Amino acid sequence: MTGWLELVPARALIVPRPRIRLELQPGDRVTAVVGEAVHVGEVLAERIRDPRLVEAPVPRDGADQGIPLPGTWLPGEHALAGRRAGAPAGELLFEHGGRRRLASGPHPDRLHAPADGRVVDVEPGVALVLEIDGPGLAATELLGEPHWGRLVILPEESDPRLALDVALAGAVVVLPSRVDAEALARARAMGVRGAVVASLAERDRRDLAASSARQEAGLQRLAPFGVLVLGGYLRRVFAAAVRSTFDAASGAVVGLVGDPPLLLLPADRHLPLPEPDHIVVRGGPEAGREGRWLGPGGIRRVRGGITAETGLVALDDGRTVAIPIGELERFALVVANG
Amino acid sequence: MTHVEPGAAEPLVATRPASSPAVPASSARAVAAPADDWQSAFFTLDHGTATLAGALVGRVDRRWRLLAAAALPAGSNPDTLLGLLVDRLRSADPARAEAIGGGPGRGSEPLAAWPRLVATSVPAATLAVIAATERTRARLEEAAVGAGWNTVAGSAERTDPLALTRLATRPGVVALLVGVADPPDADERDLAAELAVAAAGIAARRPGMRIFLAGPVPEAPLLDAWRAPVIVRLPAPAGAPGELAASTLRAALAAARGGPDDSRRALAPVAGSLARVLGLRVEILEIGVSGAARVVASPSPADDGGIAASVQIVEVPDAALFRMDRPGSVDRIDYWFTQSLDRARLRDRLAELAVAPWSDLDADGALLRAAALRGAVERLLAATDPVLGHGGVDLVIGAGGAWSAVPAPAAAHIVADVVRRPGAVQVAIDHARLLGPIGTIADDAGRDALVAGLGEDLLLPLGTIVTPRGLRPNRPAGRLVLETGGARSEVELVAGGFTLVDLAPGASGTAELAFRGTTELGPRGRRFQVAVSGGLAGLLLDLRDIPLRLPERPDRRRELLGTWERALWPERDA
Repeated sequence: MTGWLELVPARALIVPRPRIRLELQPGDRVTAVVGEAVHVGEVLAERIRDPRLVEAPVPRDGADQGIPLPGTWLPGEHALAGRRAGAPAGELLFEHGGRRRLASGPHPDRLHAPADGRVVDVEPGVALVLEIDGPGLAATELLGEPHWGRLVILPEESDPRLALDVALAGAVVVLPSRVDAEALARARAMGVRGAVVASLAERDRRDLAASSARQEAGLQRLAPFGVLVLGGYLRRVFAAAVRSTFDAASGAVVGLVGDPPLLLLPADRHLPLPEPDHIVVRGGPEAGREGRWLGPGGIRRVRGGITAETGLVALDDGRTVAIPIGELERFALVVANG
Repeated sequence: MTHVEPGAAEPLVATRPASSPAVPASSARAVAAPADDWQSAFFTLDHGTATLAGALVGRVDRRWRLLAAAALPAGSNPDTLLGLLVDRLRSADPARAEAIGGGPGRGSEPLAAWPRLVATSVPAATLAVIAATERTRARLEEAAVGAGWNTVAGSAERTDPLALTRLATRPGVVALLVGVADPPDADERDLAAELAVAAAGIAARRPGMRIFLAGPVPEAPLLDAWRAPVIVRLPAPAGAPGELAASTLRAALAAARGGPDDSRRALAPVAGSLARVLGLRVEILEIGVSGAARVVASPSPADDGGIAASVQIVEVPDAALFRMDRPGSVDRIDYWFTQSLDRARLRDRLAELAVAPWSDLDADGALLRAAALRGAVERLLAATDPVLGHGGVDLVIGAGGAWSAVPAPAAAHIVADVVRRPGAVQVAIDHARLLGPIGTIADDAGRDALVAGLGEDLLLPLGTIVTPRGLRPNRPAGRLVLETGGARSEVELVAGGFTLVDLAPGASGTAELAFRGTTELGPRGRRFQVAVSGGLAGLLLDLRDIPLRLPERPDRRRELLGTWERALWPERDA
């Protein structure tokens, strides 16, 4: 009967050696080199703050080493009295009509490697691509900025507003219970570097985005902070396979990235994987329950009058139920490089 | 082009029976199109953003018949889905399965010998549009949106090169459209060259990014750029705003976005086939999770005495089912939703549906989908009415997974609520998602023959909606006399609500409407005779206002909408 298992959509669980993209913007100054091995926390680029457009004359023949390409970082030039104006250091956007357009500005912020890996590509002003040594746990979205820290799992029944304190500074915390913007703001204020949540409501996302925008507008910014969402918007619990992965990585340094959204895990931990026919119910009256796939359950009418293809699932509580296949998901244990 | 005899005399959803066995022709685009007389069956697959739909079509008594169909969430294995269809046919009708070559065997493996017609929905990708002037930017952006792109746009007139570069290199942007008018306007001449250089700077940063040049934009700077870009030359933006449907630039951008098997674009050729085969003016309202499109096809006499069809299609990414990033979109869904829900919860549920469209299927999840569908159709019509008009058509078809997520009679109610036009129109839905795959057949004659051959299996008829305008609410409006199959029934009409008359699928007849005052039903008058056909909803006499006016107070509005909804959707409270 499990020959029909592939009727159920598979969701990625673990991505081995993922390729991640760290966003850059024109004017960022990349210090990492393609092919270079990097370690978690190492500076990869100096980030521009408040970039501005600068126009400068193209230097006279011989002043440059060849014709610079768009995206090239150009050093500053001193003004020469009575002869020519100077130009600040900046990234070349393009040359036209004998003048250069540069993106220039101060670089007070740093972009750090969120995990051990290797630089595989640099797209100037667009992205820096890393191949990570360890695997990644698939998520749906990163709100905020990539970061890293020691993984700490808070107890399921704890109130995050009480459990979050300065002892967790520098950590990435897993919040299994209900999470709101207030709890996340407290986490940030306590020096927590990131949070992993099962779901987050739209209103809390907007509050978090507004809070981040205020931080970015300030002169004295707090450290980067990211919230990795593994599910969607409605309250959910972590699946058992995800909880097992957290347990396996607990205490290790993990990274949070958004492109693709992943929790970057250490390479040296053994990660338990669920059985192939293990099923998670993601919606409907049995939402959150898990079980084992038995086979197709036929077309059935659900409450509300909709007819849907169903599957028979032996739930972990001993019941066998027919559930719309649209409410089911299983884990693709290993997926292609992200 | 081969033309099929008109079927205008029979205003039915069902097609005319084919005089000879219809054989779908081979197609350069549809690689696996069934091609030979000996072919006994074929599969169709529609890979949507949210839904994977498959169907098994086989030859029965020298006709093509729909033998099995199913829809699953996207991400399901298509081979397993097709295997399920074959398995069901073997269980339900072993002799038929044997006759078409699907004899005993293991069900989970589909038969490799049967060809497949495959259409794939291409999600609206993001196109960065940069132009020299705001005027040209507006025209370029309009063409791009009508071709199904999401856009971010700027002009050298208003935006500095740094902002343009950031705009075109932001995450999610997959292509860049740079354009000037042809010939360039006076204020564009100096900027065209700088625009090309700026585009070259962007191309150098984004290896593999597709660059579309519309109009006389010099390409030399791009060819000099680091990492050679992929450049596509397109026609210059032409015409005034509102001439979107005829825009060659829009057509070129649409072709560049979707590819030959794009299920949304494939609706245009299949709408043409329907118009030719049925001899009806056909309108397809396609609503999906990643985009939406409206197609209007009208038959007309061809030079050779046959029937030709003129087809217009406009895509509207903003009318995607759960799209909520436009001002007022959540308000409109709340307006149509018949349950009370606080706004934050409503947003969360809609956002969750956008992420997982197949979740929340039961109970009020279906009602929420129906409300979202009404909002999406409203957006689709509002965006396309200026281009395609809102003139009467004979047959409205709901296509896309959204229409199958509500019971069929409720789908007819949704059309009645939102498509407010005086007249009589038949309504059907593409229940087995056959239209997209059939639309990938490049050859008109082969596609027309398949449409004719599939006959009434192609669409699920919902019924006929008759919508007069100009009635005085809550007063006796007149009388309906319905003659069908020799039977005659009379119904007194009261303005302000629905009158439902049972008319089974396949039944047809004549409705004589005698109103007390002058009324608009296409033409104006007091007495009308309308040909009607049946369906799962039957005959709907929609005697409500045009446009529909609902109470401002939410509780009263919900109560009224709920009353109408319950009439066509009795299981909603189950």
